[in-house]
Amino acid sequence: MKKKGIGFYLRIYGKILAQDLKSKMSYRADFIISTIGMIFTNISGFVSFWILFKNFSSINGWSYYEMLFLYGFSLVSITPVQCLFDNNWSLRIYVYSGDFIKYCFRPINLFFYFQSEVFDIKGLGQLAFGIGTIVYSWSRIGLAVTPLAIIKLVVFLITASLIMIALQNAAAATCFWIQNSFYVLDLAFKFKDYARYPITIFSPVFRFIFTFVIPIAFIAYYPSLVILRPDAVPILSWLSPVIGVMFFYISYKIWMYGAMKYSGTGS
Amino acid sequence: MSIKKYLTLTRAGIIEALQFRLSFLVMIIGNLLYLIVIYFLWKAIYASAGTDVVGGMTFSDTLIYLVLATALYNFMEMYTVWEIGRNIQSGKIVLDLLKPMEYRRYLFWSYSGSFVTQFFLTFLPTFIAVSILTHGAISFGVNLPLFVVSVIMAISINYSIDFIVGTICLYTESIWGINIMKQVIVLLLSGATIPIAFFPEPLKSAMFYLPFQSIYNAPLTVLLHGGSDIESALRLMGMQLVWVVIMNVISIVFWKASLRQITVNGG
Repeated sequence: MKKKGIGFYLRIYGKILAQDLKSKMSYRADFIISTIGMIFTNISGFVSFWILFKNFSSINGWSYYEMLFLYGFSLVSITPVQCLFDNNWSLRIYVYSGDFIKYCFRPINLFFYFQSEVFDIKGLGQLAFGIGTIVYSWSRIGLAVTPLAIIKLVVFLITASLIMIALQNAAAATCFWIQNSFYVLDLAFKFKDYARYPITIFSPVFRFIFTFVIPIAFIAYYPSLVILRPDAVPILSWLSPVIGVMFFYISYKIWMYGAMKYSGTGS
Repeated sequence: MSIKKYLTLTRAGIIEALQFRLSFLVMIIGNLLYLIVIYFLWKAIYASAGTDVVGGMTFSDTLIYLVLATALYNFMEMYTVWEIGRNIQSGKIVLDLLKPMEYRRYLFWSYSGSFVTQFFLTFLPTFIAVSILTHGAISFGVNLPLFVVSVIMAISINYSIDFIVGTICLYTESIWGINIMKQVIVLLLSGATIPIAFFPEPLKSAMFYLPFQSIYNAPLTVLLHGGSDIESALRLMGMQLVWVVIMNVISIVFWKASLRQITVNGG
């Protein structure tokens, strides 16, 4: 059997995606309400942000618009995990009920097939919100708009998004060992809220932990420094794409290891 | 012997909750991380502010408030909306409706077990830790019994709001969207994420006329300032009492009117 190329996978993804969208559309009310719920979440996050800065003009040398940029950056970089990897939340249910076995019998990559099955459109609202925030704060800070800066932004956004995906994959994969992974997933999901603050507010110990152990500083802080502070970019910022890819690869291996170990329920 | 049947449900809930020891561990780790993030964030905020008192609150006031709000949240969050929604979707609600106990009461008391476990495993340790670490910032006097009464009223209001939102699920059959909207509104407007003292003026006064501040802000204010300012503590509690009555009446009436709406999949 010859190895299947990326074109093959893209074509399959399109087909599976179309089926998923059709089934979502048959629950239209649920879709609309969920979208409104998502907008609510973003607005409330923004309102808390705004209230904080009504009382305090800067945090640790970061101005309002710089913090806003960080906030927008984190919103965009967590969109892929929301949209493309939402099926991780159902993994424990499939594993528990035994339905997971169906994924094991397809002649395509197990991880790919499982994740491709669900596309969460709600995340797109968040993407729009995040992009709006980035554009607004970008223009307020007065950063130059050059093609190079935009390429940098896109590259660092994409690689930053891999961190959150990696955390979710690894958290979801724990269900292969402990069955109910909901609490672990929920914990990992909350990390996204901590990513929107500059890492410099923490003490050295926690700076280390949030950089190398739970790498949430790479979700927004390090990559956005490339845009925000172009004169003094720390080495970790330039490394953040590498770290994103590395963590994604590790989480993929953990996920697949768990899946290969899976023996079904026997029914 | 009417109380006995309720206490049986409480006991069952305690046993059930103690089954999931691993999830407790994960939850405690999650809370610790959250508290660490909050501690450093507000420390940085107060350090940048240049003054010790902002919005009438010092750094340690804010920290005590937020830590106890988190502990209170873990203790009061009942996932009622999820439970009702899932029961509607699966059809299990029919069996619960046939039980010789009113559904609203049945649901509450089957959760009461986790109140007990959460109280001893999360709230009490946090409370003791905070009162030791802050060297008596929490006074022990008349405010403690007032706090207990205030928390009981807060639980009642919170449950009624949950139940009303859960009843809406009967019409929408959407759980995620409805639940996230409720959660976002309650957490923001109750002062659980940012103390109400920091809200800008027109919003601040408006919030005192909404039921949400009775859930977190009222009990915490009673605990922190009830010892020195009994009059305003009693005023807050009077407000709570009004909301207990209003929300309970609405939730009972709304549920009765909606019961006729139920169309459940045969199963």
